[in-house]
Amino acid sequence: MKKLFRTAAVAAVTALALAGCGGGGASNSSNVTPTGEIKPREISWLLSRPADGAVINIMKKLADDYAKNHPGFSLNLITTPDRPSYIQKLETLAAANKLPELFDTDATPFAQQLAKQGKMVDAEKLLKTLNVYDDYRPAALDYQRFDDRSLYMIPFQFELEFIWYNKSLLQKAGVSAPKSLDDIPALCTSLRKAGITPIAIDGQDQWPLERYAAYQPFRETGPDFIQKLKKGEAKFSDPAGQKTVEWLAALGKAKCFQDGFSSQGYSDAQNQFTSGKAAMYNIGTWELPSLATDKLNPAVRGDIDFITLPTTEGTATAANEFVSPSGIGMAVNSKTYDPLVSDFLKFALEKYPSEYAATGALSPTTNVKTAIPANATPLYKKAVEKANDLGDEQAMPWDTQLDPTTNGRLQQELVLLVQGDITPEQFTSTMDSAVAQNAPKFFK
Amino acid sequence: MLPNRSRLSVLVFLLPPLLLYGAAVLFPILQSLFLSFFSWNGISDMEFVGLANYVRMFTADDVFWRSFFNALGYLAICLVLQLGGALLVASLLTSLRRGRELIKTLYLLPAVISTVAIAFLFVRIYSIDPVGLLNQLLDWMGLGSLERAWLSDVNTVLAAVSAPEGWRFTGLYMLIIYAALISVPKELEEAAVLDGASRWTLFTKIRFPHIRPVWITTTIMATTYGLRGFDIPYLMTNGGPGQSSELLTTYMYKTAFTSTDFGYASTISVFIVIECLVAVGLILFMLKRKAES
Repeated sequence: MKKLFRTAAVAAVTALALAGCGGGGASNSSNVTPTGEIKPREISWLLSRPADGAVINIMKKLADDYAKNHPGFSLNLITTPDRPSYIQKLETLAAANKLPELFDTDATPFAQQLAKQGKMVDAEKLLKTLNVYDDYRPAALDYQRFDDRSLYMIPFQFELEFIWYNKSLLQKAGVSAPKSLDDIPALCTSLRKAGITPIAIDGQDQWPLERYAAYQPFRETGPDFIQKLKKGEAKFSDPAGQKTVEWLAALGKAKCFQDGFSSQGYSDAQNQFTSGKAAMYNIGTWELPSLATDKLNPAVRGDIDFITLPTTEGTATAANEFVSPSGIGMAVNSKTYDPLVSDFLKFALEKYPSEYAATGALSPTTNVKTAIPANATPLYKKAVEKANDLGDEQAMPWDTQLDPTTNGRLQQELVLLVQGDITPEQFTSTMDSAVAQNAPKFFK
Repeated sequence: MLPNRSRLSVLVFLLPPLLLYGAAVLFPILQSLFLSFFSWNGISDMEFVGLANYVRMFTADDVFWRSFFNALGYLAICLVLQLGGALLVASLLTSLRRGRELIKTLYLLPAVISTVAIAFLFVRIYSIDPVGLLNQLLDWMGLGSLERAWLSDVNTVLAAVSAPEGWRFTGLYMLIIYAALISVPKELEEAAVLDGASRWTLFTKIRFPHIRPVWITTTIMATTYGLRGFDIPYLMTNGGPGQSSELLTTYMYKTAFTSTDFGYASTISVFIVIECLVAVGLILFMLKRKAES
């Protein structure tokens, strides 16, 4: 038995050692012009986007077009739209050193570690070499950058997040759309008194509530607070941190979110708003087809409008600076980067923007114009035009900024804070110790 | 006793499954044990940290202890529903003359429904907005004050995620216990009835002692499944709100695949393995002692 145990232990060690060494081929993240012959083969893109969405449909079409002149080429799109599942898949593949040619990732601390290890191609150099860098909206590229301003991901979308509201419900409660973030708790109280759910939120996916945590500090300090917080250089006990903690507790106390929000999903929240039950709904332009076209419930269609993120007194950021994400970005695996991948990217990135804008979506580039669909309501155009008037700063979603453990804890504690299950003091102390414990591992 | 040649052939046939078991079960356990002494996020260099992960787990991780006690609560609810429910239904079934097959099938049905479907079904049942079945029933019964968002309330969520798991496998254990109950010799029962034994005496002195071996097996099965419970709580609440329905398994999974702290996640998984072994040992010990007494 002892012998068997020893043999198994040796086998375990050997397997791990082999896994550690396996596939660790030499790669160079800054070599963006590989030389040699283009040898068509199948390349894969591990992505986290809707299976039937515009990005996938267009890239499929472009891959087919490319294959006409490069027989033997094909693009294998492997999508996992559910983000937490996708991240787990990505991290497991990265651990096994088995990442495909192209893969999606946000500018997370984990991605930055991959970049530092030379596993991703320098996207800034790549885009410049392909002569498309200047076409991109600076905000779209900035969203993909790490804190040191380096760029390793290529954006395929550009979105703006608004607070949508139902004019008739606000009127019924005798209130108007919030002018300041600080107006929202009182607004919720009035709406609740009128029997209206103030804000519909997808609590199940956790990121929507985390957005609310980001708003006050962004208005108070710009991107400064989160950039410091994630490294443990700022704390929730600091004034900017306390402001958001107190505000979130006030949102909870005023019962701003629908009852039982933490177990309600994306479509539940949307239904609450589009059926005329909830007065406000915070969502991005990716929902324009359902909120600003004739697909929207006729009963509320005429009552819907939106505002951008309200400012606060003494705000550090302007009204035209808010959350404007360019979605999850695409990284290029430096280990498998060769003349074929380079040539395909050149072909696809040149043609992609016009195809994408034709679907009615906002392109991450400025060289094309978004086609407004025939069934759009006037809000569609109004929303798209907001992209032309953006400030220099943008509010970064915190789930892409914090280390994964702190992020997970924050998402859990936020629900408790808003539900009133913990006090602002408990929240502050739990989160400050979570940051102190976990941040150093990721931001050495 | 088997003749020599036959024993050899038995060994030959036993070897492949044993090897498979070693590769699929023992090897990962040993690998976890090995990894638990390291700090490793999957892409960094593995750093040997000795017992630091164990020290952190036992002394500095409030979520670990919360998850551990939640897991015990989850187990208790599952066992009561699965074993208690199964024994009750199986006993009632033996006294039924007609419709046994139909009832057996109905009770077994949840065991064959996919976990994801069950999770979604119960999310709807517990919902408050729109009103789900449970809150609607409470309203109809005039118990409107009990209506709540069962999965968002930190006081009810653990029971709410345990109930579907218990409900799901009650039919399966009922079937096993029912099979054992109908094997109880009729003449023994008839003799006892003639001697004036009550239904309760009949059950405690004749039926239960007879099905004890089966009962031990089902208890071990239900306990180990309960301790490894993962999918339904993970799908329904993802451990939330806060850590109110976090189990050791969901916490371990998140530590490994969300926090990418594979070393620490392995430490938790080693604890789960030991916890399961201890639980099985305790069950065997207690039931053996009871049988002896």
